[in-house]
Amino acid sequence: MHNLAQLSDEQLVEYIIKENQELFSEIVLRYQEKLFRYANFLSKDRDKAADIVQNSFIKAFINLKSFKTEMKFSTWIYRIVHNEAINEIKKNKKEIEIPEGLDIRGEGDMELDFDRQEMIKKVRSCLEEIPILYSEPLSLYFLEEKSYNEIADILRLSLGTVGTRINRAKIFMKKICQTKK
Amino acid sequence: MSNKEIDLKEKIMERIKSGEIKMKPRWYFVFGSLASVAGLVSLLVVTIFLFNFAIFSLRTNGYMRGYKYNQIIASFPWWALVLAVLGVLLGVTLLKKYDFSYKKNFLTIVFGLITSLLVASLLIDFLGVNDVFVRKGMMKKMYKRYDGRCGAMMIKNEAGSKMRANTMRVLKDQFILEIS
Repeated sequence: MHNLAQLSDEQLVEYIIKENQELFSEIVLRYQEKLFRYANFLSKDRDKAADIVQNSFIKAFINLKSFKTEMKFSTWIYRIVHNEAINEIKKNKKEIEIPEGLDIRGEGDMELDFDRQEMIKKVRSCLEEIPILYSEPLSLYFLEEKSYNEIADILRLSLGTVGTRINRAKIFMKKICQTKK
Repeated sequence: MSNKEIDLKEKIMERIKSGEIKMKPRWYFVFGSLASVAGLVSLLVVTIFLFNFAIFSLRTNGYMRGYKYNQIIASFPWWALVLAVLGVLLGVTLLKKYDFSYKKNFLTIVFGLITSLLVASLLIDFLGVNDVFVRKGMMKKMYKRYDGRCGAMMIKNEAGSKMRANTMRVLKDQFILEIS
């Protein structure tokens, strides 16, 4: 019997597929809170978020044999949650629109001058007001601590687009947070 | 409900243990991938054929030099061109499903795809495959219909029979005049 805590997600998945399906509970335990936070951010509704996460786990289990263990499991399951959440949002006809007067042209290097911790606090308070197109990569980067590569895989975007959207999201953040003050 | 209150473990594991949800077998995904690749390849082959057919029609009509406006409308295989463009669009949509499509510059991929399709179509025409299709095979009839050379011969034959008919008419009139 393996010590589950020592197994990486990918090793655990292999073990679940080959030996014991019931160990999927360990995957659920490892990811349910993170995924719930992410789904809640996307759907802005806790009940819906719980449904999204539950459906995502079920889909992940059904399609577990399509997961390539050389990939990162977290990227794969975040992608499933992203798809589920976007379908849910579309179903509820919540439009992904840029608020008037907030559109940003140009992609210049606009680094913000506050440090990461301060940024996280501001991210949490302002994120909900930013169009989801930009806030999602920013949330994955700051709140879920995913790398640009992982975000690119989750959202199926090029690295350049991820960088651009995160930069734009920072500019939105600056505008919105400054207005709040 | 706070973030920590979420506990889906029991609900999900109950459904797994009861057998209500089951993992799909690996062959299902392997078959899916193979079918998807086969579908994409078939689509690209058909698209190359359609582009090639349009190129063939253009070449045999002397490219645009031999065409008159009405002739273009009437005898160019527009359907092949339209279907080929649809094939490209469908191909691009299918390519988007593959991981490399977002890791590389997608515009370059699309441009590369279109260029490859056109080059392959031109190459097939250049190698004389179309001329074989005109002579034999299932598509002989269709090829002949859009073959500019056959069209020119038909026009020539038509003109010849009109001339013959006119000559006959003149001779007939002269004969009647001479008798009367």
